[in-house]
Amino acid sequence: MSAPMSVDVSYYVALSAVVFFIGLGGVILRRNPLIMLMSIELMLNAANIALIAFARAWTNNAGQIFAFLVITVAAAEAAIGLAIVIVVFRRSKNVDVDEVAGLRG
Amino acid sequence: MSDATTLLLLLWLLPLASAIFIFAFGPLLRRAAGFIGSAAVLTSFGLTLAIASSAFATGGLKLHLLDWVPGFTFGLWLDPLSLLWTLIITGVGGLIHFYAIGYMWSDRAIARFFAYMNFFAFAMLTLVLSDNFVGLLVGWGLVGLASYFLIGFWFFRPSAVAAALKAFVMNVVGDVGLMFAIFVLFAATGSTAYSDVFAKATTLAPGTILLACIAIFIGCAAKSAQIPLHTWLPDAMEGPTPVSALIHAATMVTAGVYLIARCAPLWDVSPEARALVGTIGALTALLGAVLGVAQWDIKRILAYSTMSQIGYMIMGVGIGAYQSGVLHFYTHAFFKAQLFLAAGIVIHSLHDEQDVRKMGGLGRTMPLAFWAMTIGTLAIIGFPGLSGFFSKDAVIYSSLERGYPLLYAIGVLTAGITAYYMCRMLFVTFLGNYRGEVADSELGIPEREHADPHVGEGAPAWIMGVPVAILMIPSALAGYIVIGGRWNSLLAADFAVTPASSLATFVPEWLSTILVLAFVAVGTVVAYVRYGSFDATASAVERLRSESMRMPQLLVRAFYFDEAYDVLLLRPARAIGSAFMSVVDPRVIDGAVRDVVWLAGWFGREMRALQTGLVRGYALILALGAAAFLAYFALIGAAR
Repeated sequence: MSAPMSVDVSYYVALSAVVFFIGLGGVILRRNPLIMLMSIELMLNAANIALIAFARAWTNNAGQIFAFLVITVAAAEAAIGLAIVIVVFRRSKNVDVDEVAGLRG
Repeated sequence: MSDATTLLLLLWLLPLASAIFIFAFGPLLRRAAGFIGSAAVLTSFGLTLAIASSAFATGGLKLHLLDWVPGFTFGLWLDPLSLLWTLIITGVGGLIHFYAIGYMWSDRAIARFFAYMNFFAFAMLTLVLSDNFVGLLVGWGLVGLASYFLIGFWFFRPSAVAAALKAFVMNVVGDVGLMFAIFVLFAATGSTAYSDVFAKATTLAPGTILLACIAIFIGCAAKSAQIPLHTWLPDAMEGPTPVSALIHAATMVTAGVYLIARCAPLWDVSPEARALVGTIGALTALLGAVLGVAQWDIKRILAYSTMSQIGYMIMGVGIGAYQSGVLHFYTHAFFKAQLFLAAGIVIHSLHDEQDVRKMGGLGRTMPLAFWAMTIGTLAIIGFPGLSGFFSKDAVIYSSLERGYPLLYAIGVLTAGITAYYMCRMLFVTFLGNYRGEVADSELGIPEREHADPHVGEGAPAWIMGVPVAILMIPSALAGYIVIGGRWNSLLAADFAVTPASSLATFVPEWLSTILVLAFVAVGTVVAYVRYGSFDATASAVERLRSESMRMPQLLVRAFYFDEAYDVLLLRPARAIGSAFMSVVDPRVIDGAVRDVVWLAGWFGREMRALQTGLVRGYALILALGAAAFLAYFALIGAAR
């Protein structure tokens, strides 16, 4: 493989980390379930960036294939998550996750 | 296999085959089962006679059947001793089987009855024909099982079920004793075969021998109703009368006599065991006779007399007079079977009345039963010339010959009491006037319930009559086998003749015989005056009532043996049980379960605080957990 101009893998990992923590912060700090789902998407895609970066660095295509798997899982997760959000909204007219605490022990 | 061994195998297995056949096709066979079962046992008897001569060959007739583990091979062994038992089991047993066809004629379960009877015959043959202790133990256990089945044959009577259970439990006590004896002998000799064990008997330590003898005797005491394991035998009379005649008089209860005679080489080298077993035999003879005096139930009188006569046998074989003890078994099998069968005819004709107070005057209406009972009674009390005279005298005198004067005294006294209670039964049953119409209360009979099944109605009288008539011959004449020392020479292969002690020269045998006969005469005369004379029969109702009222509780309660078992064993066992029920079970077992439950509940209560229901909280915990993992692996990496 001859890349005329190559970016060091550490930049990709740094990008991945930044995106991951943005996502994590969104999940923990935001109370709107839609925003939380979007943040989860960010975390998943941060993982994808890392996977692909390492795959290229190590010239091992397993990481790329795994990224496709993550995309599939993310799609499924988004579908289920949105379905839950809609059901919760129908029941309580509420989009604040802190108000949905029926499982409190 | 030679012809003789083939026949030996056949005569052993024939009753088993018949039992299985009757079990399988019982509902179809009905009464035919009785004829098949009798034919099987009588055929065995014929086969035994056919091969009898080979038992007297050197070493007897041996048939090796099975190698199991080292030290245990199973085979059959027909020697003079086991031949005698086999002849009685199949001969007397066959007659009793035939009699039972009539006795059980209308019983719905007649096929089951004969299946059990044949099974018993097979088990008893296993016991006596085995050539080793383990085979003997198997037979020992199986006869106990057959006895349990047959005592409880009328299982719809609670008293029969209780009696069966009692007999079984006490017999298991004996089985355990016998098993322990086998362990001791196997540990000492490395074998369970009679020939190996007895060959090493003289080389064993006296303590080992005594231990083995005591353990064997526990087995004998349970099976042969010796003190203190005798209380099941009178209760066992709940079974049908043929069962009482076959199992609880003629054969099974004499298994203890057989075993001690078989183990003669062990007893020969242990004087302590001789003294112990002889003493218990004598005491049992006395106790059975004394208790026989207080009974009113014709079968219970005979049961106590059986116990007493087996006491004589055990005393005889216990003190080393094997020939005499075995001779008494041989004659007793005839006259006691006959007494029971005659009693069965009486019970039958009176529609299951067993209380002698309700009988009387039956000599005129039932001549066959009367004569059978008379010959049996004369034989058992030792009337000169009848079979019991020879055997009982031999047992009593041998106790003197071997130097046990105290046992001799007990034996003579018991002979007198035996004459008294047997004549009492005979006179009350057959002389005077029939008292069947007299009310129970006038005869001093306490309230009782009549739940007895009428099973034999409609049977031809000859079916029950013929065996009784046949048995009269050996009951009267069997004793003449001793004339000219022939008996001792027949058993010479099993027992050496041992020299007499000095006491025997002091009191010659004829003097002893006269002494015994004097006691017997006194017993008979007292019984005649009290129950048989004209005065006594004329006022029989009045006399019987006053005697019933004045009977000492000590005798009625059979010296409180059952009560003693209750206090010493049953109540402590129940107390332990209830202690466990009230303390150990709720506190320890249930308590442990409850503690585990409480622990799970406590853990759940403590942990529910973590379930906040806040999704963002969970996410934070997840993140922190992941961070902790990362930190951990980072640290490990740094350390490396």
